[in-house]
Order: sequence, then structure tokens, then C-alpha cells
Amino acid sequence: MMTGARIGSLIAGSLVVLCVAILLVDYAVANRQPFASRPAAEQKRVTAERLARKSRDNAVGWVLIAAAAAFLTFAKGLVQQPKPRPPAARQSGADALGVPSGPMRSPGRAPELDLTFVDQIVLQFGRGKESAIPLLQAIQTHYRYLPDDALRRLCEQTDITPAEIAGTSSFYGQFRRSPVGEHIVRVCHGTACHVSGARQITEELRRFLAIPDGEDTDAARMFTLDEVACLGCCSLAPVLMVDGHTAGKLTPATACNALKVTA
Amino acid sequence: MSEDLTRRGFARGTVLAVLAGGAAFLVKKANGQVVWQVNAARCINSRLGEVGVEACNLCTTECVVALSAVRAVNEYAKCGRCNICPAYFNITSAVNELGQPSEKLCPRDAIARKPIGKVDPEDPANNFYEYIIDEEKCDGCGKCVMKCKEPLGLGSITLRIRYDKCVNCNRCSIARACPQNALLQLPVGQAL
Amino acid sequence: MSRVPEALGRACVLLVLLAHSALAQAIPYQRPVDTAPQANSIGGGYKVPPVQKPLPRDYWLQVVDAVALSAAMGVSVWLVLKRRSRKWLTALTIGSLAYFGFYREGCICPIGSLQNVVVALADPKYSIPMLVTATFVLPLVVALYFGRAFCGGVCALGAIQELVVLKPVQVPRRLDRALGLLKYVYLGLAILFAVKPALTRDFLICRFDPFVGFFRRNGAPHMLILGGGFLVLGMFVGRPYCRYLCPYGGLLAWCTRLARRGVTVTPNKELDCGLCAEACPYGAIEKMRAVRRNCLYCARCYASCPCDGELAHAKAGLVDLPGAAS
Repeated sequence: MMTGARIGSLIAGSLVVLCVAILLVDYAVANRQPFASRPAAEQKRVTAERLARKSRDNAVGWVLIAAAAAFLTFAKGLVQQPKPRPPAARQSGADALGVPSGPMRSPGRAPELDLTFVDQIVLQFGRGKESAIPLLQAIQTHYRYLPDDALRRLCEQTDITPAEIAGTSSFYGQFRRSPVGEHIVRVCHGTACHVSGARQITEELRRFLAIPDGEDTDAARMFTLDEVACLGCCSLAPVLMVDGHTAGKLTPATACNALKVTA
Repeated sequence: MSEDLTRRGFARGTVLAVLAGGAAFLVKKANGQVVWQVNAARCINSRLGEVGVEACNLCTTECVVALSAVRAVNEYAKCGRCNICPAYFNITSAVNELGQPSEKLCPRDAIARKPIGKVDPEDPANNFYEYIIDEEKCDGCGKCVMKCKEPLGLGSITLRIRYDKCVNCNRCSIARACPQNALLQLPVGQAL
Repeated sequence: MSRVPEALGRACVLLVLLAHSALAQAIPYQRPVDTAPQANSIGGGYKVPPVQKPLPRDYWLQVVDAVALSAAMGVSVWLVLKRRSRKWLTALTIGSLAYFGFYREGCICPIGSLQNVVVALADPKYSIPMLVTATFVLPLVVALYFGRAFCGGVCALGAIQELVVLKPVQVPRRLDRALGLLKYVYLGLAILFAVKPALTRDFLICRFDPFVGFFRRNGAPHMLILGGGFLVLGMFVGRPYCRYLCPYGGLLAWCTRLARRGVTVTPNKELDCGLCAEACPYGAIEKMRAVRRNCLYCARCYASCPCDGELAHAKAGLVDLPGAAS
């Protein structure tokens, strides 16, 4: 991928090599024969040649210094991954389903959810209490979490009581009551990763994403941070997974860069 | 805990005192800069008795400065201002129609020959010429120095180190290479 | 009948002339005067021109050098310990390289001045200008209080190596320690060879300075290639000459042990994230604490700290630890 930095460093690098080659060649072919027995005209010519070579080498030396400086500047841009920036809040207030993206300032002002889906699944799965789990799973799959409004509608449409919904949804870790971010980040806290510093990585990710205490999603609703048990690649400890893409051998510095794969 | 009571503070104070003492001693001894200079009495090129040998150009080749810090310098008060200067002309070369040698000695053409007063073409031996060495072109090769001494010349040209160019290295490479140990360090006042 | 002698005569003349010209190629030179003609014998208002005697650098310029050295060290201390800004420190580094490196051509440097000081102390006939003493003493005094501020952004040799650091590897601790002893060996050798009597004296540091060829834009090819090798190595191992070979760095490291202030790692609450240790290319952070004698004042640790430095989330005020002091 020929970005500007790559092209620049290639050009500057070749210029450096070229200047070094010119200087070496000049040194090698420099006229070192003794002067004494030559006629004056040739002496003058050789002197003029030497003077020209000196000034040429001087100029090439400065070009070499400038080219080396340029090469270093471009190479630094190539080598250093740019510092990761925390994700910014998105422009639109909600996505197509009405799921709010952006900070939930006050739930009362959230845009209207499209609740026709709830009616559809009630028709599909039935109204009885035994359908509670399939209904909740469907709602979770559709809205990516269990919105309060959808649950209220569910209670209205079925025989399931709010207490039963609260119990079921809080028992299973799969159900979420707050919107999940676009990407789910699972940090492995298995044994190998734990001893390799998974805690520091999780803390650094929380700082980087500015996730408030007690929550697991950043304010822009881009990433949800989850601490999970062993992901099964202990030789790559510490490990995290972003939406199915695994990144291993992380440090707090590189963990933030692993998020850039998806963002 | 007050800083000057800690062991570290005490150690620091001691080191400071040692440094200050050493610096004071050195400053008291300082008598200005010491610079390198060529001793004309030892340099092969200007030393009497060395005639007919190739001029030594180690001053040119060894100096770390790009075009040597050594220059041939003509002491005008001692210069014979001769019509046929053995340092200007290569007197072993063929004579041209003007009765002068056809070739110049300086490989870089650094010596300029200027007539003084009026030139009398009838009496060439009594014309005087000023020989001026261009320090931009001279690189201290010593050919003119070798020729301008007994029996051919008056020894007015010597090799000298120019202090606006000399970097004053601790390890003067010319000094290390000179086979006659002709380079020495002198205080600036004596060296000029 | 009279033609033959005429022709013969002409031929003889020709022969003689040819022989004459063949033999008399160069003039038989004889010095026309035995003493130099004086102005009055030349006459015509002639004056003997003066012989130019160029002086070395003015004294006030030497003072400027000493002042520039102190000022640069002061700025380095302030930029690293107070402002903690890598951007400005890089600017200082480039400035020092331009002035002390390319303009003054790396001479006099404090590394070499240690030899001169040693000789001046040992040899009663040898004396050095005050500038050389100042160049030797000033960075040591700063090191006694603040650490190796000279190494960070002022030393020309350090500056050129600092600017080529691209992707430094962390040298394993034992190897780092072992190599670090080399600089004391070099220091001992440099002093040993410098205190020899004048004819056998050898200034080792000047002889084996790898970067002076670049500053002078001129030098023996093998020294230039060695310098180039150090710079290429320096892209991947942080400042190898400074850490493992610099004899003056050995003195600075000793002085830094006594320093009260210097680069410190941690705000009041230790985050334990290790970003600073990873960012330090010179192995100066061990067990989350700064090892001041190895710290070369590059401020990369501060730049990478999420609480303190230039990382985006610190700048955005997203991180706020209780009691996180400056």
C-alpha cells in the first residue's frame, strides 16, 4: 500500500544511497598520481578537476544530510502507529430500529422504538409464559438489547409478568438491559492471560474508551468491553477478541490499536 | 529531613567541592589558548640543506580540515621579488620566447605575480615583482617552500597554520605524521 | 663553386643552433639578489605589504559557546521535568545538532574535554582555556542536581543518535548491564593514554569519535563508515554509543546517582499499565521506577503516560485519577 509516507521514505532512502554511492565513487577514482613531472597545462586541468570534485562532494554531502533527515521523518511516520483516538459520538441520534446511539442522557427523551416487531414475535411464539425465553432472545437479537419500552409492550401483549421478565433477563448473562456497542470486545481473563497482565489491558481499554465505572460500554456506543473466560489461545496471552477477530501478545499500548481493526 | 543532612546531599556537596576546586586550579593555570604551529627550522621544506628532494606535502594530506589549515606564506619583508622566482616558475622547464620558464611550479596556480612599479623590458633583471599567495587556492603542498631557500631563494616562504581554519585538534594529525616532529603547540601570542 | 661552402656553412650553423637549442632547455638559474630589496631601493612609493596573521576565534565567541551550553541544558531540564513535551524537546535536539554539531563541528565537546582536563591536571606545562574547563564541569554540575540533562537534547553526538531512533528493541537487562561496563573501560583507557608524556600522549576519544566526520563533512572513509554503522544500528537499538561507550556518560551516570531531582515515574497512584517502560528505548525504567543513571532525558515516558502525557485520552481529560499530581 503506497501511502505518502512510504513513497516519501523510498525516495529519500534512495537519495541517501545515491549520495553515498557518488561520494564513494568520487573517493575511489580521485586522481592520486604524483604531480611533479606533468606539463603545466595538465597540472592546471587536474587542479581544476580537484577543485570541482571538492565542491561537488560538499554539495552532495549537504544533499545527503537533507535526504537523511527526510528519510527519517517519513520512516518515523511509517514506523510509529498513530496514537489511537477514542471513538467519537456519532452524528445521528438513532439507527434504523430506533436504537439510540450516542449518550443516553435521559431515557425519557430517547427516540421512539419501532415496537411492531414485538407484536410480530408474540404472534409467532405465542402468549404463554413458556415463550418467555424465545421472546426475549428474539428481542435481544433484533434490538441488540432489551429496551424497557419493548419489555413493557411484551408484558401488555402476553401473560408474562414484569417480575418474571426481570428475573429471567437478569439470570442469563446473554441478556443485556443497556444498548450494546457496535463492536463487542472480549478480553480474556483466563489463567494464562491473567498472569500475563489481562487486568492492565482491561484497565487501559476502559481508560482509552472512557467507560464510566459500573458500565461496560463507551459513551459513543461503539465498543462494549467484556471480560470473558479462556478464549483458548493461551500461547498468545494476553488476548482479546473484537467481533470475532482475535488479537494476541498484547500490551496496554498495543491493545488500543487492536480496536482499530474494526473501527 | 533537611537536604543537607542526608548522605546523598553530603556526597553531592563533596563532589561539587572537588569539581569547583579542580576548576579553580585549571582556571588559574589557564593562559589562553594553545595552538599548533609549524617550526620552520625543522620542516623539511623550509629547512636549509634539504635541496633537490621532493617537497613534503604531509601538511596537505593529513589535515582533517577539508582543504588543509596549512598555507604557504610569503614574508614580504624577506622576499627577493625576483624576476624569475624559483617558487613561481618551474625553472627546470623549457624556456619560452620571453626568456621565462614556460611552466609554473604551483600545482594549484595559487601564486600571483604582480609587477611593482614600471616594467622595463630592456632590463628584465631589475624589474621587481610582488608574489602574492592566494590562500583560497593554496593547500600547503610545500613545493614553493622547498624552492625558495638557499641557494635558489631567500627563504621568505614558509608553511604556516592559519588559525581561522585550524580546528585545534587535540590530536593534530599532521603533528602525528610529520617525520621531523616539526609541529608544536604554542600560546597564541607566540605562535602568530 | 662558391655555393658548396655556402651550403656547408649554413648546414653548420643550423647544426650548431640545433645542438644549442637541444642542450639549453632550462635556464641555468642563479639568484639575482643576496638580500631582499627594501622599500627605498624599489622606490616609487612602494610599501611592503603586511603578512596576514589570522587569529583564532574571538574570546567572546567562546563565552557565547559556554552560555549556549548552559542555556541548552537549562531548557532541557525545564522541557523534560516541567513541560514534559517531546515536541519541544525534539526541536531543542535539532537545534543543538545544528549549532554544536554542524556549525561548531562537534569540537569542543565535553566528552573530549575530559581528556584535556586530565592532561591539564597531570602535566604542569599544559594549560587549557577556561572554555574547556567550563565545558567539562557544567554538564557534571547539572547532573549532580538534575541528572543527565546534557544527554537529552544538548550533546551533539547524542542528538544525532536520538534523531535516528526508529524502532528500538528492548535490550535484555543482563546484556544491558554488561555492555554498560564498557564505557568505564573506555573512560579508564582514555585517561590512561591522556596522562602519558607529551610525545606518547594519545587522545583516544578524539581518535575514535564516530560522528565527527559527519559534522566536518570530511574525514577518513573508515571513520565515516563506522559512524554510518552506528547510526544504522541506532535506528534499532536506542543510542548505542551513549549507553555503552560514552566515557563522559560514565561520569554523568556517577553524578546522577547523587541527584535529587530527575525523571520520576508515577503520579500518586500507580497505574501499573507499563506504557512508560515500553516506551523507554534506553532501558531506564525498571519495575515501574525510573533508573536515573540510565535515563537520557528523552521524555518518551511522559509522552506515553495515559495520566500525564500527550496520549489522546489524557489530553481529552478523560482520565482523572484522584491526587494525580504533576
